[in-house]
Amino acid sequence: MEPPTHCRAGATLPSGQEFLQSFQHRIARAFAGDTFEPIPLRCQMAGAGVQQPHAGAQAGPRVHANWSPYDDNGGTCVAVAGNDYCIIAASTRMSSGYAILTRRSSKFLKFSDKCLIASAGFQADLLGNTLYYKRFFPYYAWNLCAGLDEEGKGAVYTYDPVGSFERVGYSCQGSGKDLIQPVLDNQLRAASPLLLPAKNWMSSLPLDQAVDLVKDAFVSAGERDIYTGDWVELLIVTKGGIRREELELKKD
Amino acid sequence: MEYLMGMRCNDFVMLACDTTAVQQIITIKHDEDKLIPIDSHKLMGVAGEPGDRVQFSEFILANIRLYAARNNRELSTSATAHFTRGELATALRKRPYMANLLIAGFDKAGGPSLYWMDYLATMHKMNIAGTGYGSYFVLSMFDKLWRKDLNESEALDLMLKGIDEVKKRLVVAPPSYVIKIIDANGTRTIKTVTDPAVA
Amino acid sequence: MVGLGLDLSVLENPSKSAATDAQLDGLSVGVDLGMQSFPLPQVHDLDSFEREVMEYVKPSHGTTTLGFIFQGGVIMAVDSRASMGSYISSQTVKKVIEINPFLLGTMAGGAADCQFWLRNLGTQCRLYELNTGKRITVRAASKLLANTMYSYKGMGLSMGTMVAGWDATGPGLYYVDSDGQRTKGQVFSVGSGSLYAYGVLDQGYKWDLDVETAVELGRRAIYHATFRDAVSGGTVSVYHVTEKGWTKISGTDVGELHYEYYDNPEKHPCNGTQPI
Repeated sequence: MEPPTHCRAGATLPSGQEFLQSFQHRIARAFAGDTFEPIPLRCQMAGAGVQQPHAGAQAGPRVHANWSPYDDNGGTCVAVAGNDYCIIAASTRMSSGYAILTRRSSKFLKFSDKCLIASAGFQADLLGNTLYYKRFFPYYAWNLCAGLDEEGKGAVYTYDPVGSFERVGYSCQGSGKDLIQPVLDNQLRAASPLLLPAKNWMSSLPLDQAVDLVKDAFVSAGERDIYTGDWVELLIVTKGGIRREELELKKD
Repeated sequence: MEYLMGMRCNDFVMLACDTTAVQQIITIKHDEDKLIPIDSHKLMGVAGEPGDRVQFSEFILANIRLYAARNNRELSTSATAHFTRGELATALRKRPYMANLLIAGFDKAGGPSLYWMDYLATMHKMNIAGTGYGSYFVLSMFDKLWRKDLNESEALDLMLKGIDEVKKRLVVAPPSYVIKIIDANGTRTIKTVTDPAVA
Repeated sequence: MVGLGLDLSVLENPSKSAATDAQLDGLSVGVDLGMQSFPLPQVHDLDSFEREVMEYVKPSHGTTTLGFIFQGGVIMAVDSRASMGSYISSQTVKKVIEINPFLLGTMAGGAADCQFWLRNLGTQCRLYELNTGKRITVRAASKLLANTMYSYKGMGLSMGTMVAGWDATGPGLYYVDSDGQRTKGQVFSVGSGSLYAYGVLDQGYKWDLDVETAVELGRRAIYHATFRDAVSGGTVSVYHVTEKGWTKISGTDVGELHYEYYDNPEKHPCNGTQPI
C-alpha cells in the first residue's frame, strides 16, 4: 500500500489504515497454524476514515474542543459474484472534505497466499465479530468481502460499520453507493434468497459483461459523486488466479 | 392522545374522534366535540394544539358561512377543503396553526368525500384517513377491511373495532369517543363511546 | 474461561457498569479468541458519544416483526428490509434468526446488535446443552439474552427481539429488548411497523385459529405493515414452531402479495381519490 501522502494535524492517519492493519493482524493470528487449502480472497474497504486513538488516549480522558475521531475519505467499491468468478473494484481517490489527498490509494486488502482462509462464510463471520468488537467505538468503515467460496462460486459479503453482514450476489459500498447500487439492482437483481419455494438468487452474467457493467457503474458514479474519480481498480478472481485491470476516471 | 379517523363509502362518510380535552397530563373534559359542523352536510374534524384548533376552526367556519350568506350558495366539500388548505398554507409562513384536519361532506352532485390535511397544509382526498398515534393501528386494519360498499351499520362496526384497537394498544388511549355520519340526509351523531369511569 | 461449573452469576449485583470491563466468555464470541472485551472510547460522556457515532455510521435499522402463540403452536412472521437513514441498505435481511432447531429469535433495531447477540445466544444455548445434556427451555434462553442485554444497559445497544420455541412445557414466546425488559406473552409485534401489524393481527387473532389461517394472518399483518411503514418491506417470511421444532412455511415478495390481495385496484382504499 502506498504511504499516505498527507497527514492531518495530530496523529491522524488517513484512510482505513489502522483498520486494515489491525484487521490483517487479527486474521493472521486467528489462522496461524491452520493447514487449509489456500483460497485467495480479497477484502476491501471503502469510505474509510477510521477512528484514531490520539496521543493521550491511553492516559485517560482528554477532551479536545471540536475534535472528532472520524473523517470520511470517500471512495466507492463494488463487488459482483458470478458462477465461477468474482469481480471486486474500487476507485482510488482519497479525499477529506473538499480536498483530494491522493489519487492513487488502493482500497484493497489482499490476504496473501500464505494467509489461510477456510471458506468465505467462515471469514465473513470473523469480520462480523471483528467489527462488532468495536461496537462502542466503531470503525468508520463499510466493508465488502469478496472471493470464491469452497465450491468455486463467486461470493460477496457486505457489512455495516458495526458488523451486521449478509451474503449477496453483488454489492456497492462507499460514497457512490446511492448512485451505483440501484443500477446494479436493475441489472443484476435475482429473486430474493428468502423466497420459499426457493428460486435462484444469484444472477449469472458472463464475466466480460459483468466487467463492463462494473466499469460503466464507476464511470457513471464519477460523473456525479465528487469522491469517486481518478482511477478504478478491478480485481477479477477466478479459479485460475487473480487478474488486475484498471480504468481511468475523470480527474476533476 | 388525540384520535381522528374517517372513512368514505359509497353513500356516506363516517368520522370518529376522541372527546377529551387535555391540559398537560390532565384530562379536563370528556365531552369536547372535535367534529365541528360547517353546515348541514359538512363536518370538520380538528386535532392539534387546543388554542389553534378552536381559533382556526372558528375562522374557517365564519368565512365559509359568510360566503354562503353573501352568495346564497354553499361551497362544495371540495371547495371547502381547498379554501381551508389555502388559509392553512398562508398562515404557515406567518404564524402556523398546529392543527391536523379531516374534512368530510356530502354533495348533491358529487356524493360523499373525505379530505385529509396536516398542519403543513398537505392535503389529499382519501377513502380512509386518520391522525394521531391511534391511527397507526387503525389505518392498517382499515386497509384490510374497508370496502366501498360497506353499509352504515357495517361501517359503524368497523369504526368501533378501530376504537377498540386504540383502547387495547395505545398507552395514552382516550376514554371517550364520538362517531358521526354524513349522508344525503345530512349530519348526525350515531354513537358515543364512553368509559363508565368518566361517564 | 469455558465456565462449565455452576453458574452463580445470578447472585451478583447486575450493575450497569459491569459492561465497562465486560468479559465475554471466550467461546461465546466465535472463532476470534483474542477478542475478550469491547474497548470503550476515552470520553467523559459515553452516552452522547454513542449518539453522535450512530449519526455517523447509521447502522441498519427498521423492521416489522410479529409472533403469536395459538392452538397449533407459534407463528413468527417478519419483513426483510434494512435501511440506513433514508437509504434502503438491504431488501434481503434474514430477520428470523435460527438459534437451534427448536428456538427462533427475531430481529428489530440495530442489525448488528441483533445478529451478534443472537449468535451469542446460540452459543450460550449450545453450551447449556453440552453442560446439562438437556435442551434449553425458551424461558431460560430468553433469560440468558435478557441478562446479557441488562449488563449493557445504557450503552446504546438497540435490539427488540422475540424469542420463540418449543420445550417440555409446550410453546413459548418471550419479548426481550436492549433495555433488559423481558416478558412472556401470547401476541407480540416489534419494530417501526409494529403498530400497523397489531392493527391487523388483533383483528384476526383467536386462540383456536387453524394453522393455515394463522400463517395467513401473520403474513397479512406483515404485508399491511410494509404497505404503511416506509422502512419495512421486501419479503415476508413466515415460520411455524411445533413440538417437532420450527419450519419455514413461506417467503413471499410483498409486491406479489399486494396484487394477490388487491387483484382489482378499485378495491383498494388508496385508489380512486383524485382530488380534482
